[in-house]
This record gives sequence, structure tokens and C-alpha cells, in this order.
Amino acid sequence: MEENQNPVYKNKDYGQSRELLYSYENDGQYKKTVGFHGEPDRIILQQAWDHFGERIEDARKRVKAGKVSPVAYYMEKNLLDPMNLGMIAGISLWRVKWHFKPIVFNRLHEKTLQKYAKAFNITIDQLKNIE
Amino acid sequence: METTKTIINYTHRQAGHCESGATSNLFKFYGLDISEPMAFGIGNGLYFSYIPFLKIMFAPMISFRNLPNTVFRRATQYLGIEATVIKKIKDPKEAMAMLDRNLEQGIPTGMQVGVFQLTFFPPEYRQHYNMHNLVAFGKEGNLYHISDTVMEFPQVLTYDDLLRVRYAGGAFAPQGKMYWINNLKPGIDIKPAIIKGIKKTVYEMIGIPFPLIGVKGLKWMARDLKKWPKKHGNEKASFYLGQILRMAEDFGTGGAGFRYIYGAFLKEAGELFGNHTELLEAADIMGKTANKWREFTYIGARNCKNRSKPEEDYGMLSDMLMGIAQNEEIVYRKLEKIKF
Repeated sequence: MEENQNPVYKNKDYGQSRELLYSYENDGQYKKTVGFHGEPDRIILQQAWDHFGERIEDARKRVKAGKVSPVAYYMEKNLLDPMNLGMIAGISLWRVKWHFKPIVFNRLHEKTLQKYAKAFNITIDQLKNIE
Repeated sequence: METTKTIINYTHRQAGHCESGATSNLFKFYGLDISEPMAFGIGNGLYFSYIPFLKIMFAPMISFRNLPNTVFRRATQYLGIEATVIKKIKDPKEAMAMLDRNLEQGIPTGMQVGVFQLTFFPPEYRQHYNMHNLVAFGKEGNLYHISDTVMEFPQVLTYDDLLRVRYAGGAFAPQGKMYWINNLKPGIDIKPAIIKGIKKTVYEMIGIPFPLIGVKGLKWMARDLKKWPKKHGNEKASFYLGQILRMAEDFGTGGAGFRYIYGAFLKEAGELFGNHTELLEAADIMGKTANKWREFTYIGARNCKNRSKPEEDYGMLSDMLMGIAQNEEIVYRKLEKIKF
């Protein structure tokens, strides 16, 4: 395994790409450096991913409890909101929200399920049974 | 099956901003030596808009860059270069076939893509962000050779992956947008283009009579920032603050919401105009403002770390942002007065 090059990240999968960063020095010169993002950038990105993780976990619990349909879980997993999901899947916003009800979801037509599966890039079986 | 192989001799250079980097690399491929900050400045990359009622990734939409494809379109227009931009291609297969035909003719082709399903992209940045740009410069069987200026080295993508990112849905969907340069004659004078570019940027930052765009938008956001903890609670306020910082520092900006790149452009332009004092002064103020943005990120990130008990007062951050907005306004007013 390679050594973790970026010291601010504990997980080796993250923060491994070096980026071009500009800076302005005291002598009035603009400098280009190729390097890693620092600690503040990790914190703000981590904050976003923590937030998404909480939402996904929350949605998963609600699906298991039978309160919402798997569509809501996969929507959170793909970091979408109902409006964007509607745009990607080609289903109107109100219908997307309607499909969050488990009863409605269970009698959905194959065609609609296929649209969701395509939007989430999964199979219909995966859509019906969440892990 | 026989594998076809066409690879154009295209030099990949890393850049701070995806689109101006791609534009600069394309110009350099055709023999016009324009650096990344130059392409960014001429093409009006600098922008600011704050749209609180439109939520992107669960936080108000904040943009430090212009609409996708503005940099390439304006830069070619101002420099008088023949280029083709196809905004929308209905049939995905046709879009890929067009790309193949271009590559066979030896034309490196730029494309707008969505980031979320881009396989080689750093995983921490993979959010729904549809304004990313990359250039395809070769095909080998099923694989496309891609130059993404955010990455250090050229990458490869399979046919299916490329098709998926080119037709990523959602806000600002790419819809298979592609662009390339048809013809570039040597001996282009870039000075008039620089003047046009500066004038347009100044107009967009202080001239548009709408309160959410440009410096006015920045001030509006500074005033709103003060109200967030009371209005939404600490948790949400810190997430919204994080959104400002994420947009300013990450997503391939080269730092400080493109202010460093624009400063570098002003400096380069000043040197090109024979050490133009006013331009160099503006570049200096821009650089100092960019450093203030950096400082703002450091302090703001501390706030994001301890969400429930913010260390720093939001009022202080708001004042800081207001100071930044005033500094930026000084730069644009200065640029507005310059007579070339």
C-alpha cells in the first residue's frame, strides 16, 4: 500500500490528488504551487460529507421502519433533492414526492421503476430492496 | 475486434480553474500563447452571485464563477477566433459520434460534464456540480483520453462513463455541450481583447442593476450571514457558512474564489501595457483581498468545526466579508476609470 501523502487526511482514499494553487506573496508576486489542500479545506468538506451521511442514515432507518419508500433513500444516497431527482429521472416533482409513500411505491408500474433505476444507476431489484 | 487508436499530440497542463485552463490549453495547442489567468480575465471568469431562495446541495446557491462556457465563448469572441459551440445535442449516441469524428480529424474537443459520476475525480469533490469542463484528445478502442485541468496528469474514461457524465441531469445540465476551435490565424493582438474583457467584468461586478449579483450580492450575503444563527439555528448556519467556503476554496478554484487568478491576470495585463501603474495597483489590491478571503476561510472553518458552540461571532465574520466587498469594489471602480 502506498504511503498516505497528504497529512491532513486520515483515510487514504481521500485528498490524494494534488492541485494547482495560486497565492499572493508580500513582495507583490503571484505564485503557483502544486500541492494539497490544507486543514481548513478538509474541515469544510468533511462537514458536508457528515451532513450527507446523516441524511442517508436517517433515510435508511425510515425506509426500514416502513415510513418512506426506497426512492427517498436512494435520493439521499445520490445527494439529490426531489426537484433534481425529477429533472434527472424525467418525472414531475409532485409525482416524485407522491412516490415517497410506500403504498404508492409498491404498486408502481415497471416503466416508472425503470426510470428511477436508470437515474440512480442501479437495477430494479436493488431499487426495491435496500441493503 | 480491431482497435482504432488516435491520439492527438496535446499537452496537458494543470490549472486552477477547469474552464479557463481548458481554454488556455486549447489556444496553446493552436499556437497562441495565452496563460491561464489571461484566458480567465479575457473570458470574464470572475463573477459573484448569491441566490438564497435557490438551494443547491441543501444550501443557498453561491457562485464565484460565470455561467458554464462563458470563458471559452467570450475569449474566442474577443480575440476573433473561429470556434464552434454546440449547446445541446438531443441524441447521446450522435453526440459521441460527433466527438469521434472530431478526434479523427485531429481536433481536441472540450465538453461540459457533471462531476458526480466522473470516475477519476477525487471522491471528496464528487457532488452534483454540472459546470465542469474537460478536453478529449484521443481515443483508443473503448477508452477516451481526457485532459482534466484539475488533475495533475491526463486520465482515461470509458465510452459509457463519458456518455453518462455528458448527460448528467439536474440544474445546469450539460446536455452534451461541446466546443472546439476551427481556425486560429497567427499574429493576434490580445490588447483590445484585454480591454474588452476588463470592461465586461467591471460591468458584471458593479454595473448590473440587480441586488444579488456582483459586489452588491456580496454585501447582501454579508448582511444575511449575521442573521443565519438566529434564523436557522447554529447547525444550519454553520452548514451555510461552510457552503460559502466550499464554493470559494474548493471545486478547483485555485484559491479564494478565483480572486488570485484574476489578480494574476491584472498583473500580467499591466506588464503587457508597459507597466501600467493603475493596473498594477489594482492587481496589488486584488491580491491583498484574496489573502483576506483566505483568512476568512481559516476563521470560518474553525466555526464549522465546533458547530454547536461557534468560537467566532458571526457578526465578526459578517464585518470581515463586508470589508472584502468594499476592497473589491475599490478595484472595480479603479478599473472602470482607466483610459487605455
